[in-house]
Amino acid sequence: MKPSVSSLYQAVEIAQDIPPLLIGERSNTNGSKKFRDCLLAEDFDGCLRIGLDQEAKGAQVLDLCSAYAGRDETADLTRLVKLYAESVKIPIMIDSTTPDCIEACLKLYPGRCIINSINLEDGGKTLDKVCRLAKKYGAAVVALTINAKGMAMTADEKVETARLIYQLAVGKHGLRPQDILFDPLTFTIGAGDESLLDAGIQTLEGIRLIKQELPGVFTVLGLSNISFGLPPAARKILNSVFLHQAIEQGLDAAIIDPGKILPLAQISEEDRTFCFDLIYNRGQGQEKSPLMRFIDHFAERVETAKDAESEDKRPEEVLHQKIVRGDKAGIEDILAVLLDRYPPLEIVNQILVPAMRHVGELFGKGELLLPFVLQSAEAMKKSVAWLEPHMQKLDLEEGTKILLATVQGDVHDIGKNLVDILLSNNGYKVFNIGIKVPAETIIAKARELKVDIIGLSGLLVKSAIVMQESLPQYREAGLTMPILLGGAALTSEFVATSCVPNYDAPVVYCADAFAGLKALKDFEAGRLTATVAAPKSGQPAMKPGVKDVSIDRSHPAPEPPFYGLRHVTDIDPAKLFPYVNEQALFRGRWGYRRTASSSAEEYLELTRTTIRPLYEDLKQRTLAEGLLQPKAAYGYFRCYSEGDTVYVEAGDDVMAFEFPRQSSPPHLCIADYYRSREEGGDVAAFFVVTIGERIAGETKRLFEADAYHDYLMLHGFSVEVTDALAEYWHEVMRRELGIAAEKPADMTGYVTQGYQGSRYGFGYPACPDLDAHLMLFKLLKPEAIGVTLTETMEMVPEVSTSAIIAHHPQAKYFAV
Amino acid sequence: MRIGGGSVRYICANCGYIYDPATGDPMNNIPPGTAFADLPDNWVCPLCYADKGNFDPLD
Repeated sequence: MKPSVSSLYQAVEIAQDIPPLLIGERSNTNGSKKFRDCLLAEDFDGCLRIGLDQEAKGAQVLDLCSAYAGRDETADLTRLVKLYAESVKIPIMIDSTTPDCIEACLKLYPGRCIINSINLEDGGKTLDKVCRLAKKYGAAVVALTINAKGMAMTADEKVETARLIYQLAVGKHGLRPQDILFDPLTFTIGAGDESLLDAGIQTLEGIRLIKQELPGVFTVLGLSNISFGLPPAARKILNSVFLHQAIEQGLDAAIIDPGKILPLAQISEEDRTFCFDLIYNRGQGQEKSPLMRFIDHFAERVETAKDAESEDKRPEEVLHQKIVRGDKAGIEDILAVLLDRYPPLEIVNQILVPAMRHVGELFGKGELLLPFVLQSAEAMKKSVAWLEPHMQKLDLEEGTKILLATVQGDVHDIGKNLVDILLSNNGYKVFNIGIKVPAETIIAKARELKVDIIGLSGLLVKSAIVMQESLPQYREAGLTMPILLGGAALTSEFVATSCVPNYDAPVVYCADAFAGLKALKDFEAGRLTATVAAPKSGQPAMKPGVKDVSIDRSHPAPEPPFYGLRHVTDIDPAKLFPYVNEQALFRGRWGYRRTASSSAEEYLELTRTTIRPLYEDLKQRTLAEGLLQPKAAYGYFRCYSEGDTVYVEAGDDVMAFEFPRQSSPPHLCIADYYRSREEGGDVAAFFVVTIGERIAGETKRLFEADAYHDYLMLHGFSVEVTDALAEYWHEVMRRELGIAAEKPADMTGYVTQGYQGSRYGFGYPACPDLDAHLMLFKLLKPEAIGVTLTETMEMVPEVSTSAIIAHHPQAKYFAV
Repeated sequence: MRIGGGSVRYICANCGYIYDPATGDPMNNIPPGTAFADLPDNWVCPLCYADKGNFDPLD
């Protein structure tokens, strides 16, 4: 059995997995005015509350001291020990140097406690008495390095005194080494006492030597002594840094105020440096002493509202807050505290999962934006990963299982991956089998993994059709679990009328990751039903566009600089940034929307403090790391239109690009912007551009490393930079065609096409059929710049885009 | 839902198009002076066809 102390309720190991053992210091008449006042007022309940408060803040043992001149120490301390032993779950440290008082407490303490303390001040007389008591009642003992000459100041004196005490306690009285906790004494380095300039160094070295020379013993410090005389905010930081240094030397336990310790991660490098200079008495040559520099640096420091807040919060609440705020710093420390009180599965189910649920609710109300949801999910993931080694295998198997896949031929996965992140961090077991997955594979995997639900994803119209047409396959395969469908081209109407009838179990349309989460909750509650088409309320979506148009057929074709194709691989990525549509990036891709609950000023502030710095950083990093490799395959070709088709001549080949025509006025069709053979023929321009596959690799790496927030950021950035490349290259081609006289003044100008002509991306509303890519690829041979096609004609890598360019002044976007 | 005054402009989160009540939206036959809140439910962005839910207040 590992050396431990105990209360009526639990045992606590002295050597903690994550040191130190936290011993609360506040139930002490000598150290706490509040405790003293309660005692003097005979308010024993008040005294108890101070103990309970420390327990709530993470103390693992409580130091209890009632010494006060004029009061009966034994009567007070025995009463307090009884009170604490009943109501406080953690073990007690009896803080007294009076053997009779100590014995009275030991007699009624229902567990194993620590006696604080013994020393050699009187040559050993009291030490003998107390050690006999410790032996008799099985208590552990704190031993201060004070000898007959006084307090040991140097490290050597400390270890020498410890050795003398050890010889008596172990050699003479038969205590075991692990029954002793040596306190090598802490003196303040905050009061400017010249003789104490190296007191910190001596204490740290003392710990090291004691652990080295007296194997098996423990060490403890009364930590706050190191900063006595300094202002509260500075004390907190110095105490925390000194504690960290002491633990590095082997410190096992610390007597502290548990609410006033910061994890090192929350202390800036700069603050730490000032602490180190003071502790190690460094930087002598400078005009100001380390202490003066320390005081100056922390002069303006006040305990922030956030500090004050966390003072009053129990670790359960602190963890909840950390999840909601997406604050990973120091989360393992809180988890370690909680693991002492609850089984890990309970921490997951009672604290972590409800916290994520709350995150979802805040998002639903518009009070939390997607990037912050992802930060919360990261904190959740980190917490669960930390708890996992402590959990039973069975615990880990629990939870509804869902299979996620992007359907055959489709390379898009940001939506599916967001679903993965959200569901995994809400307690569901997610099997994400990637992109371009054929139905056969999905069916086989669903059987093999015995999943409860399948989720299919796909961006383009083609994928919606793939879903519709493959559902009968799932039915024939005998699958009976519900299927969720997600994708930008889907609508609830399409799913209800064209998908639901093709499968026997519920088929459910999910507009986004949160709808997917809701579907899973509905499934668990037994109320998941197939999507139904909403009754025809209101009218169908408007069809924007000028309604009365006749295309000028006399507009001449420009003379291109060359006919045929060219490949360009030396495009400077920095040139693309002015063309990035920042609003689409910030709001659309990254999800930094301005919701009903934020004001214009708040959104401006968010933009200034969070969004822009993120964006600037991404631009710098992607440039520095060579993640942007923009390339273009483009060309100009003779062509002529005939009806709805544009015939493009490439060498001996003629390729027929057929385009759809609007069924309602003005009945537009892309072919209308090119002259017919009779009218003299025309010039068609095309491009395929890409920013290369390297950034896709980095994006994938972030997702696999559970860096959800950065994954969303980089993915969104890469997609918008691809669009920027399309905008940039379109402008290059306008210049080459001699039609670039009007140049838009700003992004709004580009968005509203304040230039001559238009480009139409294949797959977009004016030419939705991706099969045209087959011909385009024959024309431009983009394989040479690293772009290929999937079996459903989508381009790989995802960060690529294609277009046909019309020079005609009346050409603008329209939908068919 | 906090709806701004009738002159508040709205921006499409998908493509950046700005709806300005002062100019209305000729592509969809919306006259000038129409507040965003008064646009029909089936109104879409004239450039990218995203629905009203994709718009944020700008002012």
